Amino acid sequence: MAKLILKFDNAVLKEMPVGSKEVSIGRSPENGLVIDNPAVSHYHARVFSEEGRLMLEDFGSMNGTFVNGQRVKMVTLKPGDSVSIGKHTVVVSESREQDGFASGTGGAKLVAPKINETVMLDTKERREFLQKVAAVGESSQVAPSRLKVATLVVRKGRTDRSEYVLNDKLTVVGKSGMATVKLKGWFAPKAAAQITRRDDHSYYIGAADKIPNVNGQPILRPTILSPGDIIVVAGIELEFLYRD
Amino acid sequence: MELEFGAQSDIGCVRKNNEDSYRAAAEMNLFVLSDGMGGLEAGEVASRLAVDTVLARCREAELNPSLPLVGKHVEGVSGASNQLASAIRSANEAIYRTAQQGAGQQGMGATIVAVWCTDERMSVAHVGDSRIYRLRGGELDQLTQDHSFVAEQVRQGKMTEQEASSSTMQNVLIRALGIDPTVEVDVSEELLMETDIVLLCSDGLTRELSDAQIAAVLGKCDGPQAAASRLVDLAKQAGGRDNVTVVVLRRAAKPVGAIARIGRWFKNSA
Repeated sequence: MAKLILKFDNAVLKEMPVGSKEVSIGRSPENGLVIDNPAVSHYHARVFSEEGRLMLEDFGSMNGTFVNGQRVKMVTLKPGDSVSIGKHTVVVSESREQDGFASGTGGAKLVAPKINETVMLDTKERREFLQKVAAVGESSQVAPSRLKVATLVVRKGRTDRSEYVLNDKLTVVGKSGMATVKLKGWFAPKAAAQITRRDDHSYYIGAADKIPNVNGQPILRPTILSPGDIIVVAGIELEFLYRD
Repeated sequence: MELEFGAQSDIGCVRKNNEDSYRAAAEMNLFVLSDGMGGLEAGEVASRLAVDTVLARCREAELNPSLPLVGKHVEGVSGASNQLASAIRSANEAIYRTAQQGAGQQGMGATIVAVWCTDERMSVAHVGDSRIYRLRGGELDQLTQDHSFVAEQVRQGKMTEQEASSSTMQNVLIRALGIDPTVEVDVSEELLMETDIVLLCSDGLTRELSDAQIAAVLGKCDGPQAAASRLVDLAKQAGGRDNVTVVVLRRAAKPVGAIARIGRWFKNSA
């Protein structure tokens, strides 16, 4: 459950849980969160939850309600958001009170995270967010990476094999003992180039002792590989593709 | 393979505690850095617990490479990389337990970044928004992807890099140690080449300095310790709004003997 922390000049004036119960904000004493200041309307705004999200609505106040510097009418609030009303600030924080965090131990323990202080996305939101991320990741993982295996096919040059399946997160092209694509010849570099697989199953090629060329372009910084790309490095030519 | 490193941790210009911790176990080429969060002393406790647990678990794994893993085995990476990821999962458990035990420490958590070089292969693992960079051939590359709300928005194309760097949501993490009973650790491997310079840092550095500024310092400085000190100084000059901690490392220069020199001459002329 979230809580609202009312601050003035960084001093914490009041804290209030919010979630199941709506909190109205304004100058009138009838509000849940009273801000006694002429810049604040009698009924200024309210914070309530809807479908598990924390919402803020401005009641058309004279001086407005600002979230992270933007004037708003109705927005979703997140932990760490800073709501400005007049010269007061209401910070949205993740409350731990239902977990037994004692609230009667004095204000010092409950000081809101300062702006910039690292916070976690609230547990529920985080789960939903991570699920969404996973869903996006899966849909963007085009069929090749799931059903097919990334492969380097040697087109030209002396290597120990004609084809390499990229099973590892790090693939080194060179003469070194840890190289997968083994180069032959006296002057072959220990590590000419490297290919890394990221967690989204994309492959990036980067320079090592040599600067590889991909489709004729020198690769100075790690660059994503696409099927059909032709890599030229240390006298060999490789094609990147997906095999069944 | 021998590494040389420099490190510096500073409370910054605003904060009242330094919640960052780092450990440099040069004898085993292991470097770990953590940025703690949570009120009062919780952040410090969490980050210290994080680095100490990782160090202890990796020490154990070095003596016993078949040490059972905490969590799943990651395919396509070395045993050392798996042990490093396992050590971080173990740190997660340790912080989570500690947080559950003391009511006042709930909400404590930490980021972690770690590198472990067993040979030229460098295992890289992380959780959270502390970062690892590598300078190679004048190019600075971030080897870790922040587990932060804004970084994820950028990856999904919902936010530009520019919007992200000015967002007030920058401080919101989507993954950290100590929050849930288990955690997903990102682990990868990189080559560590003779001329590479690797940087581990807390967000107190990257919120103050641009990649270009960081690259300039790493490229110019005289040794890892000088670079580490310079980076911290610059971050403080830029405001030092958060704790700032950096570890800079590279392979130690080998003494160049006569034969090696001839070899190099051959190689360069080839």
